[in-house]
Amino acid sequence: MLRYIAKRFLIMLVTILIIVTLTFILMHAIPGSPFNQERGTSEAVQANLEAHYHLDEPMYIQYLLYLKSIVTFDFGPSIKQPTSTVNDLLGRGFPISLELGLVSVIVAIISGILLGIIAALRHNKIIDYAAMAIAVLGISIPNFILATQLIQSFAVTWQILPAATWSSPKHMILPVIALATGPMAIIARLTRSSMLEVLTQDYIKMARAKGLSPYKIVFKHALKNALMPVVTILGTLLAGILTGTFVLEKIFAIPGMGKYFVESINNRDYPVIMGTTVFYSAFLIVMLFLVDIAYGILDPRIKLHKKEAE
Amino acid sequence: MKKGLAFLFILLAVFVLAACTANESAGEEDQDTGDQTEATDEGTSDEADNGGNKVLRLNNGVEPTSFDPPEGFDAASWQSLNNLMEGLTRLGQDHQPEAATAESWDISDDGLEYTFHIRDNAKWSNGDDVTADDFVYAWTRLLDPEEGFSSAFLGYFIKGGEAFNSGEGSADDLGLEAVDEKTFKVTLEAPTGFFLNVISNPAFFPVNKAVAEENPEWYAEADTFVANGPFKLSEWNHDSDFTMVKNDQYWDKDTVKLDEVHWAMVNEVNTEYQMFQSGDLDTSEIPADLAEDLLDSDQVVIDPQAGTQFYRFNVNKEPFQNVKIRKALAMAVNQDEIVEYVTKKGEKPARGFVSYGFEDPSGNDFRETNGDLVEYDPEQAKELLKEGMEEEGYDELPPITLTYNTSDDNKKIAETVQQRFQQDLGIEITLENAEWNVFLQDQKDLKHQLSRSSFLADYGDPINFLESFVTDSSMNRTGWSNQEYDDLIAQAKEEADEEKRWELMYNAEKVLFEEMPIVPVNFYNQVFLHKDNVSGIVRHPVGYMELKWADKN
Repeated sequence: MLRYIAKRFLIMLVTILIIVTLTFILMHAIPGSPFNQERGTSEAVQANLEAHYHLDEPMYIQYLLYLKSIVTFDFGPSIKQPTSTVNDLLGRGFPISLELGLVSVIVAIISGILLGIIAALRHNKIIDYAAMAIAVLGISIPNFILATQLIQSFAVTWQILPAATWSSPKHMILPVIALATGPMAIIARLTRSSMLEVLTQDYIKMARAKGLSPYKIVFKHALKNALMPVVTILGTLLAGILTGTFVLEKIFAIPGMGKYFVESINNRDYPVIMGTTVFYSAFLIVMLFLVDIAYGILDPRIKLHKKEAE
Repeated sequence: MKKGLAFLFILLAVFVLAACTANESAGEEDQDTGDQTEATDEGTSDEADNGGNKVLRLNNGVEPTSFDPPEGFDAASWQSLNNLMEGLTRLGQDHQPEAATAESWDISDDGLEYTFHIRDNAKWSNGDDVTADDFVYAWTRLLDPEEGFSSAFLGYFIKGGEAFNSGEGSADDLGLEAVDEKTFKVTLEAPTGFFLNVISNPAFFPVNKAVAEENPEWYAEADTFVANGPFKLSEWNHDSDFTMVKNDQYWDKDTVKLDEVHWAMVNEVNTEYQMFQSGDLDTSEIPADLAEDLLDSDQVVIDPQAGTQFYRFNVNKEPFQNVKIRKALAMAVNQDEIVEYVTKKGEKPARGFVSYGFEDPSGNDFRETNGDLVEYDPEQAKELLKEGMEEEGYDELPPITLTYNTSDDNKKIAETVQQRFQQDLGIEITLENAEWNVFLQDQKDLKHQLSRSSFLADYGDPINFLESFVTDSSMNRTGWSNQEYDDLIAQAKEEADEEKRWELMYNAEKVLFEEMPIVPVNFYNQVFLHKDNVSGIVRHPVGYMELKWADKN
């Protein structure tokens, strides 16, 4: 197990290095500069700005400077918000995105699994159709439309919830609903189909024959196996949601880190692009790793060190 | 098996613990009623808290770039910075510079030396005096090439400013002098009739030298920020919101009516409008889709902005090397149609480059005096196009591409222009859009043929508009170069006599339109919704706002 983790860790480092290099090449390949503005700037001013951020150095020096900044995890100041360092931005934004993301994921998992189980147990009955109708709606309505509609109804028309910003638990309700609905629908559908499959298997029939209570059958025997596909998507889902979502954070004016992914590229804010990329890829890789570990725990037949042999 | 179950239980336990706050939303439907009562309760108590205080709720859109005066060179910083600090002059309710930190000034006869007398009661929010040294320190910093401020060019009016900023001169040669504690003398490169206007810009705000030398990052947080304006910074949650309260050290504090201004950062105009409707904001911009419906509402306040939307011809690319072809196309752009049916925010159509709102010494408006320099006239446009094509020996016009930066509004305007060219001149042009930064880069590199542009003034004088098109200006971006025009602008910058200076500027704009390297489309507006109980917010055409006179009842 330890050897496996060590090896995975090395692979992670190599992956991150490749991602960083590709990002560096790509971001310098797009035309434009962080100092481009509609207003004209004199050449002297332009030159002073570039020197200030080491952008006048040759590319390989800039690349080495970036590698250094990654190793020391110090990306320097943002170009667009010069009074904050990239670490400040991540340090402020990530906890908020994490809070919103975690609550949403929990809501999505619990309600998704419950919805899936209910649908599977009442297969081809009204409740099944209703649950799946909700799921289809959840998948097909884009979350930004749902968000705008939620604000319009709850904040403007009925005035029972705040429209936007991030200052109290109450402010969380609408964004969590908007963010959780999509993943909830996906999880519900996955749970339903794998539950249906599991419920027809011999060991469940055996359990029924033994006269176990339906509650025990579902939660002790069926659910655990039915959850495997859900666990599979959990890694990417978590990484995506926990690091913030640009559109929803913008609509609800939530000061998370989602906006930096998009705006840093629009602004050609090189240090922020690198910072967010490294952070996100490291986060995603760790999540996928945890999912692999979770497989082993949920299903002892999957042996991690066997994977290693492959 | 047991291990697996244990894992699941732990997971569940973590969920439940972490979801303490989530519970409110977890059982969405069941708990709705509970939330409702809670929400209304808190709503009323909020209002009660603010009963005695006048709290204005505004939206800054995004995090201010920086509260370091020369660094925060954009509207996102100016909106609030202009109310936290104060330069020697401040633009008044009529947008003209008034005495502010300086109570008076003397100007030498040659117009080159300005001696400012700083108020005795001009104080920093920490109680320090605002001194001439603070200005010398701040303005030297503005021009320091090491700092790399993009606003530095505004300091080029100061003697030795450009040389120092380009790394050729030294700080010692700058025309800045602290004569005594409260007397500040500035020497200029050339008589600059609008200097008092320029220095109202936040880039020229003083910096408390003692504070800045002790803590170079004094502007980064609310508790270290020292203000000298009508308000001071009391709280700043980065990327989320900030609050400023009345500054009791301000020399003119009796004028200030508001107790507190709260700034949200909502960067989505639909949400902003929804918050305005639900009472969370006192002002709001107007979502584009609702512009037509909302523009007639009596909550709408429209202020002109000193700025122009226009198209640039690239005179290095065929067929725009020919002035008649340029003029023909310019005369086929129907400005009235665009402002009335496309942009729809009550803008004025632009038939010159300098916007309304600049008065010459005899009190006449620049735009009205210089008149319409290009007008929609399809008949004459056809004629000019024919002549131009003959001059160039074209049987058929080379293909034309109009490029704009990606946005719905830009697209709609470009399509209107495309249609006019086709109907009035029989020319088919191609439209092309590009991401903002790519677009700007290509425009600077003169890769476009015909491209969309906008200009927003940095200070309130027509020269700021007109100097854009001198040869090799970084704002030129047309390849156009004209000796007569360059001379007129250079003379205007040297001229001490205001009458003559304005005459030179009038002539320069006429030369520009005889040559037509650009097509103006419209002048900009600042359109806002204000709650009925809000009054006295002043928005200057140069883009910053004043809350000094604002009130909320």
